[in-house]
Amino acid sequence: MSGYGFDTETARERIRSELERAWRTLRYVLRDNAAKAGFAVIVAFGFLGVFGPYLAPYHPIEDTLRQGGSMMRLQAPGGKALFGTTSFGKDVLSQFLAGARPTLIVGLFGGVGTGVLGFLVGLTSGYFGGRVDEFLMRLTDLTFALPFLPMALVILSFVTPSVWLITAVLVVFLWKMPARVIRSEVMTVKERTFVKSARARGAGHARTMFLHVAPNVLGIGFLYTAYAVGWSIVAGASLAFLGFGDPTTTSWGRMLQQVFRSGAIRTAWWWVLPPAIGIGAVTTGVFLVGRAFEEIVNPDLQTEQE
Amino acid sequence: MSLLEVDDVKIAYRMPGDDVHAVNGVSFSIDEGDNYGLVGESGCGKSTLAKSVLGLLDDNGEVRRGSVRFDGRDLLDLSEREWQSVRWEDIAYIPQSAMDSLDPVMTVGAQIRQAIRKHRDVSKATANERVAEVFEMVGLDPDRTGNYPHQFSGGMRQRVTIAMALALDPDLLIADEPTTGLDVIVQDKIVDKLIEIQEEIGSSLLLITHDVGVVAETCDETSVLYGGKVMEQGDTDRIFGAPTNPYTIGLKNAFPEVDQFDEQAISIPGSLPDLTREPTGCVFRNRCPFATEECEGSHPALVEVDGRLSACHYTDRADEMRAEAADPATWGIDVRDEGDRTAGVGNAILETRDLEKWFRQPQGILDDLRGVDPDYVKAVNGVDLSVREGEIVGVAGESGCGKSTLAEVIAALQDRTGGEILIEGTPVDELLGEDTKEFRSRVQFIFQDPFDSLNPRQRVRAAVSEPLKIQGHDAETIDRRVRRTVEDVGLRPAEKYLDQLPTQLSGGERQRVAIAQALVLDPTLLICDEPASMLDVSLKANILNILREKADERDIGIVYISHDLASLTQIADRLAVMYLGRIAEVGATEDVVTAPKHPYTASLLAASPKTDPAVDRRRVLLPGEPPNPVDLPGGCNFAPRCPKAEETCRGEEPERSAFADDGHEAACYFPVEDVETELLERYAAAREEEVGEVVEDGPTL
Amino acid sequence: MSFRRFLIKRTVIAALLTLIAVSIIFATLRLLPADPFSALVASGSLTPEEVEQVRAMYGLDDPIYVQYLRYVENLFTFEFGISLTQQRPVGEIIVPALVNTLVLLLPALVVTAILSSLAGMYAGWNRGSWFEQSSIVATTVFRATPIFVTGIFLLIIFSYGLGWLPAFGMRSPLANPQGYVATYASVDFLRHYILPFTATVLFYSGDFLMLARNSVVERKGSEFLMLHRAKGLSEMEQLGRAGRNSLLPLVTYFALRTGMLFQGVITLEVVFAWPGIGRALVQAILNQDYPTVQAAVFIMALAVIVMNLTADLAYAKLDPTVETGDV
Repeated sequence: MSGYGFDTETARERIRSELERAWRTLRYVLRDNAAKAGFAVIVAFGFLGVFGPYLAPYHPIEDTLRQGGSMMRLQAPGGKALFGTTSFGKDVLSQFLAGARPTLIVGLFGGVGTGVLGFLVGLTSGYFGGRVDEFLMRLTDLTFALPFLPMALVILSFVTPSVWLITAVLVVFLWKMPARVIRSEVMTVKERTFVKSARARGAGHARTMFLHVAPNVLGIGFLYTAYAVGWSIVAGASLAFLGFGDPTTTSWGRMLQQVFRSGAIRTAWWWVLPPAIGIGAVTTGVFLVGRAFEEIVNPDLQTEQE
Repeated sequence: MSLLEVDDVKIAYRMPGDDVHAVNGVSFSIDEGDNYGLVGESGCGKSTLAKSVLGLLDDNGEVRRGSVRFDGRDLLDLSEREWQSVRWEDIAYIPQSAMDSLDPVMTVGAQIRQAIRKHRDVSKATANERVAEVFEMVGLDPDRTGNYPHQFSGGMRQRVTIAMALALDPDLLIADEPTTGLDVIVQDKIVDKLIEIQEEIGSSLLLITHDVGVVAETCDETSVLYGGKVMEQGDTDRIFGAPTNPYTIGLKNAFPEVDQFDEQAISIPGSLPDLTREPTGCVFRNRCPFATEECEGSHPALVEVDGRLSACHYTDRADEMRAEAADPATWGIDVRDEGDRTAGVGNAILETRDLEKWFRQPQGILDDLRGVDPDYVKAVNGVDLSVREGEIVGVAGESGCGKSTLAEVIAALQDRTGGEILIEGTPVDELLGEDTKEFRSRVQFIFQDPFDSLNPRQRVRAAVSEPLKIQGHDAETIDRRVRRTVEDVGLRPAEKYLDQLPTQLSGGERQRVAIAQALVLDPTLLICDEPASMLDVSLKANILNILREKADERDIGIVYISHDLASLTQIADRLAVMYLGRIAEVGATEDVVTAPKHPYTASLLAASPKTDPAVDRRRVLLPGEPPNPVDLPGGCNFAPRCPKAEETCRGEEPERSAFADDGHEAACYFPVEDVETELLERYAAAREEEVGEVVEDGPTL
Repeated sequence: MSFRRFLIKRTVIAALLTLIAVSIIFATLRLLPADPFSALVASGSLTPEEVEQVRAMYGLDDPIYVQYLRYVENLFTFEFGISLTQQRPVGEIIVPALVNTLVLLLPALVVTAILSSLAGMYAGWNRGSWFEQSSIVATTVFRATPIFVTGIFLLIIFSYGLGWLPAFGMRSPLANPQGYVATYASVDFLRHYILPFTATVLFYSGDFLMLARNSVVERKGSEFLMLHRAKGLSEMEQLGRAGRNSLLPLVTYFALRTGMLFQGVITLEVVFAWPGIGRALVQAILNQDYPTVQAAVFIMALAVIVMNLTADLAYAKLDPTVETGDV
């Protein structure tokens, strides 16, 4: 059927203009001060995620700090351990630096996976409507009905958790959010004249869907991908905090779990604050940028700027 | 002293970047009991002006100069609290789109009551009595005050807003495009009601509209606005009887009368002036065929000519300009050679036989199981229509008559539920067989809304080349044909437009791009669904001319769907009138327009307002609204509203050829002979009776 | 579509959804490669023979479909069986936990829904104002930060740092009240209540605020508000109408949120050691106590499905302009 193959020239031109738009949009978003701060946090976090483990002065798990032959337990910041130590004599700073990476992986891949899957489901569901829509929407109802955190806990209690498994579980449970929003957005766009017009010019379903409908809901898609990154970080940290994280790596959520479990939370503020502030700052950063972006892409908020 | 005096008002909107100077020194005044018209196209500042009188400008709008005096007090000095007491008590407002202007989650009665109790200290019961009273005044059933806005039709909602405006007997009524978007028969009834009530309660009326016909028929005095300036001002009859300003002349020419068929449509070339700077020269000079250097230098002051004011440096040449302006060539339009027309003689391009599109109404599961026959909305119900090479067939009708569905069914954008469609003799199913390529290369469509018919992410080049790409042409052919077509629809030079995004184009340019998209495949049949209805009058004619030209040059058959009879009579060779899914009347345009045989066609034609103030037209007060399409009466669909209907009409539905005369057919047993006596007088008489029953004495507030 | 038909259709769908959800829970618990008893054997507390006996007692020897049918039947009659580790009916564990969770979360949700929505409407009306900007940023911070992190901050500051409020549980260890009234109507309980309540209120404020603010912004430029203004309505009266028109998404969202209540704040219950259903679930999972896990997850799923149904119906009933078929 016609319309399934796109010519490379169109595709290349599309991609170029989309990138231009993305750049312009980012600059526009960053005019908002809160978004600017959020963006700075995200950049710093990305840097930590990539380089953090190399910056760490000690190995976060294997190195046990000793002083005069005895293990440095719950040492307040200073001296050998800039951020103090844990109750097992590990360096908090090193754990904090290394702990960004699993958080980044879960957030990034969980968020992008959720965004992409949700986008495709929402696009298909909204575009075709009818039975396809009915089926996919009942499927989202079902994933809404299955309580996410409890189900994830059950699954992870049987299978040894790893960062990638956790990411996969997140995607399986979170795709419904963007899917619903994208679907309703697609249903609006689908009714617009230019979509009908594309059909009248002879465009097939794939062409209409991907070249005419999809680009006009892409903004919302990105927005929900950004939010999904936030949700994934929260969910990954929550799982780790409940003791269902990847036991082989150090993540911020797991640090909080250890400090909470050990009871040191009453005194060892230096062990609590770095991961707690880290998680809070990153998720807040993501949401602040998301909010500013939403002001541009949410068509309902455009009433005054015509 | 006048009731309202607007003196040298300047209004600007603060925008990021530049301010927009929407109104630039406008003065006018309205006497007590007068009807005053503000006419102009979109962007001329008429709505801004109206809003400033009510203190309702948007947050970024500000009055920079001048004064608005009402009953001797300067409104612009009022505090917000003082404004609140002036609004509705003294000046009431009838909004543009009754569709969106009523609070969707409040009953209409409560909304009117709210207006009353805001200003008068009365009990709920007293307020309710008043609500019922104004409901009756505007011809609405007082039992429906408890309904929500969405339960009313468009025309009825407009009546609700009028009722609301009457609630406190205001001194001045401001009506902002009160009939835009309504069907012509409904419009006639609403305007009639508005004028009648306004005379009854003795208030003044400020009517804002783009429709020259409506103003010419209802207003004593008028200001014609363009670019935030008054172009011509004074007695309405004088202004539209013999306009002296080139803009007024152009505007009036762009509004053809229904019976001016076969004349080439005249439009004003160019686009609106840039108002981000305060105008220094004449605001109209860029589009004016008579402009000279002098016009560049200064905007002309209003000077008196023939008993009205006109802003033109060449008022002394008014008669001359009027004569020249009647020639399309003056406006830079190619004069068409009427001899070219080959209407009705070429090969048939489209033929539909008994075409049907029925929408099934949902019903209960139990009814499904019991095998109860579902109800259908018969949107298209047995339509036979043919189009020949080079012929334009117009399809007219009110909203909901099925004309748009007909268009989409023919273009295979919707499936049909019955009947046959033949394209150049080939059944449409064969063309659609394997893929849609073959069909789409022959049949193309132009949509109504130019502002939404282009993908906002696609540049002109991509948009126009897409149909060719789908057909699988090579890059070089595509480039050549895209350029040719884009220039063909008047976007010259093509280079200037190819890399533009839709947001960078005006409405008229967008619609041309849409037409280029349709023409680039060299189709044999073009279906146009109201292609010009959302454009300003001065641009409308452009689109009509392009279509007419293509039909003549390329022998394309065109189906032109519209509710606007004046455009149809200008462009169509044959005209079909639809009512509730059926063709009521069809024939050569001239025959149908000059001698309509179906009472519905006759009413529809008579309801079009006349731009010539000398003509005294009797309003069409056709009772009721089209019935619910689910539950149609037996017999002729129009019988329940037809003053001529007899038993026969209610018994059996007339064949389309019940009246037939040389290709002119009407589905009527008793064809109309004299519109005036047979229909209009009877409608009016029927309404008199109805009005007589309305309770006279209500509680006074 | 008539409202009755819509109601029937939605209810049938909800029932089917429940059945499917329940089946998935069953499958997840049974088919995953682990067995609660193998651990007991490995630790030496039970001999393989004893395990066989216990398995027979719990009906784990029957064919899987018999187990499934019995399981479904039991769930729908709210017979959750006997806890594997606590040797008492699951109901006795779950019901008080459920009540504790509701007592904490429902008031918090109602409070935040009302306050945040009002603030959001006001913010939307004054778009671009200082109040709008700061309220959005503040609530976004609490919405974005995981609730257990907010909880930990509250604990560190008010409990461990300032020592004003207790950190752990629902009542002090010495108190041993009998009955619900004695449990919840006491100063001791209130002192334990403040921190988790505050965390919940803060966490949910962002969604309601943004929703209310966006709806009001969306309506602010609308024609009907302009007509209200033209009628002479004051600023506050206009905001009232804009608010009334924004109510529907808020009510719907409130219903959905209520449905997600039990699962939303498991981590919060853990942080504050609040003896609610979330904490009970986590403990049951750690102890591999199947029947309790099943019951808890079932209740959470049921709450979502029932509240989704309520939201749909509320939407269809409350909005005069929505035809029931459109929902």
